[in-house]
Amino acid sequence: MPADRDDSPGRESNQNAAISRRSFLKGTGLAVAAAGVAPGRALAGPGSDQEEVPVFGPGPVPIRFELNGEEVRVEVEPATTLLDLLRDRLDLTGSKRVCDRGSCGACTVQVNGRAVASCSILAVDVTGQKVRTIEGLSSAEGELSPLQQAFVDHDALQCGFCTPGMVMSCQALLERNPKPDRPAIAAGIAGNICRCGTYQNVFEAVEQASGQGGGK
Amino acid sequence: MSRDPQTITIKVGFGDQVRELVVTIGEGDIPPYQVGDRHDEVGQRRNRVDAVAKVTGRARYTYDRKGAGMLYGKMLRSPHANANIRSVDLSKALTMPGVKAALDFVEVFKDRSARYAGCSVAAVAAETEAQAEAALDAIVVDYQVLPFAVTTEAAMAEAAPQTGRGDDRNVSARGLRDGESAADFLARIADQDQAVQEAMKGQTVVSGRFSTSVQTHSALETHGVVCDWDGDNLLCYCSTQGTFGVRRDATASPQLRARNARVVAEYVGGGFGAKFGLGREGVAGALLAKRAGRPVRLMLDRREEHVDGGNRPDSFHDLSMAVGRDGKIVALKARNWGTPGNGSGGAGARNQAYYAIPLVDKVELNVRTNAGGARAFRAPGYPQGIFALESLMDMAADAIGLDPLEFRRRNDPHPIRIHEYDLGAERAQWQKRRNRNPGAGSDPIKRGMGMAATEWFNPGGGGASCLVRIMRDGTVEVRNGAQDIGTGTRTVMGMVVAEELGLRIDQVETFIGDTRDPQGPGSGGSTTIGSLTPAARLAGYRAAEQLLGLVAGQTGWKAEDLRLRGGMVVRKDGGRLPREMSFAQACALIADEAIEVTEKHPMVGSGRNASANYEGFADTNSGLQFAEVEVDTETGKVRVLRVVAVQDSGKYLNPKTAESQIRGGVIQGVSYALFERRIMDRHQGHMLNADLENYRVVGALETPEIDVVLVDVANGKNNTSVMGLGEPPTIATAAAIANAVANAIGARVTSLPITPRKVLEALAAKGRKR
Repeated sequence: MPADRDDSPGRESNQNAAISRRSFLKGTGLAVAAAGVAPGRALAGPGSDQEEVPVFGPGPVPIRFELNGEEVRVEVEPATTLLDLLRDRLDLTGSKRVCDRGSCGACTVQVNGRAVASCSILAVDVTGQKVRTIEGLSSAEGELSPLQQAFVDHDALQCGFCTPGMVMSCQALLERNPKPDRPAIAAGIAGNICRCGTYQNVFEAVEQASGQGGGK
Repeated sequence: MSRDPQTITIKVGFGDQVRELVVTIGEGDIPPYQVGDRHDEVGQRRNRVDAVAKVTGRARYTYDRKGAGMLYGKMLRSPHANANIRSVDLSKALTMPGVKAALDFVEVFKDRSARYAGCSVAAVAAETEAQAEAALDAIVVDYQVLPFAVTTEAAMAEAAPQTGRGDDRNVSARGLRDGESAADFLARIADQDQAVQEAMKGQTVVSGRFSTSVQTHSALETHGVVCDWDGDNLLCYCSTQGTFGVRRDATASPQLRARNARVVAEYVGGGFGAKFGLGREGVAGALLAKRAGRPVRLMLDRREEHVDGGNRPDSFHDLSMAVGRDGKIVALKARNWGTPGNGSGGAGARNQAYYAIPLVDKVELNVRTNAGGARAFRAPGYPQGIFALESLMDMAADAIGLDPLEFRRRNDPHPIRIHEYDLGAERAQWQKRRNRNPGAGSDPIKRGMGMAATEWFNPGGGGASCLVRIMRDGTVEVRNGAQDIGTGTRTVMGMVVAEELGLRIDQVETFIGDTRDPQGPGSGGSTTIGSLTPAARLAGYRAAEQLLGLVAGQTGWKAEDLRLRGGMVVRKDGGRLPREMSFAQACALIADEAIEVTEKHPMVGSGRNASANYEGFADTNSGLQFAEVEVDTETGKVRVLRVVAVQDSGKYLNPKTAESQIRGGVIQGVSYALFERRIMDRHQGHMLNADLENYRVVGALETPEIDVVLVDVANGKNNTSVMGLGEPPTIATAAAIANAVANAIGARVTSLPITPRKVLEALAAKGRKR
């Protein structure tokens, strides 16, 4: 149900915090200039009436952002997606590319707390932003977050390929709505496909993590 | 210790259905888990051992593997639904930036045919994915484009273009004559079975035509490999459900000429039947790595996975069933056809199943089309065939005025399922939730409940070994080279060993998915657990025996009086030992570094008569599913509210993961019932919905509440008494939903998926009949 998924709370961030590859290429990007980093040649300030379009590249451009609490400085080709940067350059392979078009949620990360499909936003667009991936969810000592522990306890995973994205969508949901009821949980993960069929276990896990359900 | 076959008496069954059985068990085997056994670990709800790796993103799948200097492989695919390849020109591609190797599949696979849009024809490896994609555009292929047929109907038509190779005919069936069309054949054999024709006379006969759509596996991790060579030795990370099969393919490949191959699949992002064998993508990945002298990752993208990663054939059924006045089925006549695409397998649909049907006249046709080939898919042939059979069962019950549950019970010979009707009816509130007046009332939202049965047959086979290693420091390793595709195999393998060693699952380390470790089965036919856990348990038992032997030697206690339990050496009879000895203290007695025991799945008999299984309580496992639906008769939209799944599967070694698997099977069944279908463009020959928003699968918003009822059976067919559970829970769901829809609206949708349009059409047809 693509329409439902697009309208779901979990996906709102796709429209707000990020821009798609296509809109970027059309030159209507907005986030970069506001970030105050000078990655390209020409920059238009936010709200500027002048149609001065930020242009990156064609060569690699330096970007800087916060990743799992630490500052990252890296040069990326402007066409690089956040997902590819994470996986191929920074070796954070928890996020998965499954559909490569924002319809399955397996690449979900948080950008400034919101769930974002990292396959569908450019790495340059997270300049100056806070990115959190599944690797940043457990403590530095490796202790699982309560949500992760709830996933383990409720067996909310089978093959596990959707799991990092699923966990991140749930994390974003809980930050937005600490006590979601079942319809809210279902809506929160409506953009995350699990082919093994763990949805009910995920509901139970989120309920446990939000203090609404017992252990199992 | 004796290694001769032993004849023993065991207690098998469940609930009040318990009986003693005299069985001969395999050489060196130990008695199966039986009624009355008490376990500390087995049968407990345990967390999956790899759950932490999966929730932290640390689990490394094939797709996550990376080698130094790794290249990205990509395949070029035919844009034509049917073509012969005259030539492939790689010369320009080889000069493109970053390109390190390229393959012409005519040369590699000696195959000039491209019989479906999306058939692979060439491959490249380059420094970046973008460079590889750009290089594909530079490959020049000269195609001889041929006419095609991409749907079952089109390929069966009288003047259909040839869809296959050489002399292959589009339609194959037993008894089909040369030059005879499918329609003529079906007409000629319509009444071929005189016994069935005779038996049907004077009985109540119900008939129907049913159909299902092509379903793609859509595992989230696509097919693919990461390959690296060390001289002639291949290291192949592969997203597979058969590590040893892939290894065999690699070493047998005339293209690769590998002296040895090590296949690794520690984590696999789903399989569902489509991931056996190395495949063209695997050969291409390995060969590109060999030619480039660097590691190569070649994973399919989502579109490729849909068009070339396998699927469940569609199906069409003409069924007739005759039922006597006593409510007993007299005969079944079935004509089926469907397409396995351009694959090598058949399209068989199983609908002569479960019930005592004295006479069956069944003819099946396979129809080759210009579409991606079918592969095994979770209970091959069953969900489609059972949808048709169980729809007809409800129609028959209706025709003779019997409750559908009662009608099934009267015809059900299964020794376990026969006891599940009451259990399921009570849990589902069958009497209360059935709609007494289907379709009646002014509210446009109608509710209904339907049911259907399931059955499967796999207590496992031979061909599995397990290594248990108890180290002097008390560490325990359990190793097998087969894979866990998300089923929980790894966890139950560890649990049965932990039980023998008196430990908890978190006190043993499990290793899986590496062909350097002992052999294991491919995960197909729900065989894995029944093949592997008896070997693992036996290895654990023998390792414990050795450890207790050391204890006895050192203390003077009698080994046969001892066992391991709760992390201690204890007396079997519960009595006190002169002093306490922990498992760790016992391990310190090991003179070498470790006790190592490898055991195979025990067999009875030898040679051709060898059997991996014993006589048990029942040869098959069974179940029932009840679906409650809500149908909006104005929009045609169906919501599945609740599914009750009653399932037996031998001994439940880990009820927690078993329940997950049943829930998952139900969810895939809901998806199959309501959403999934491959849509082919009849004019261009392409799959139109090769993505994950137009090829819809169930999401969280559409998932019903699933109530699982586990029926634990000491089956006795192997030493862990277990039966496979991958397939059975997805078989009955679509049929139960279809019956629930009919119960809600008083009109039957006879085609899957049950889309709003089909619901509205069924309602309109009912209106016309009035």
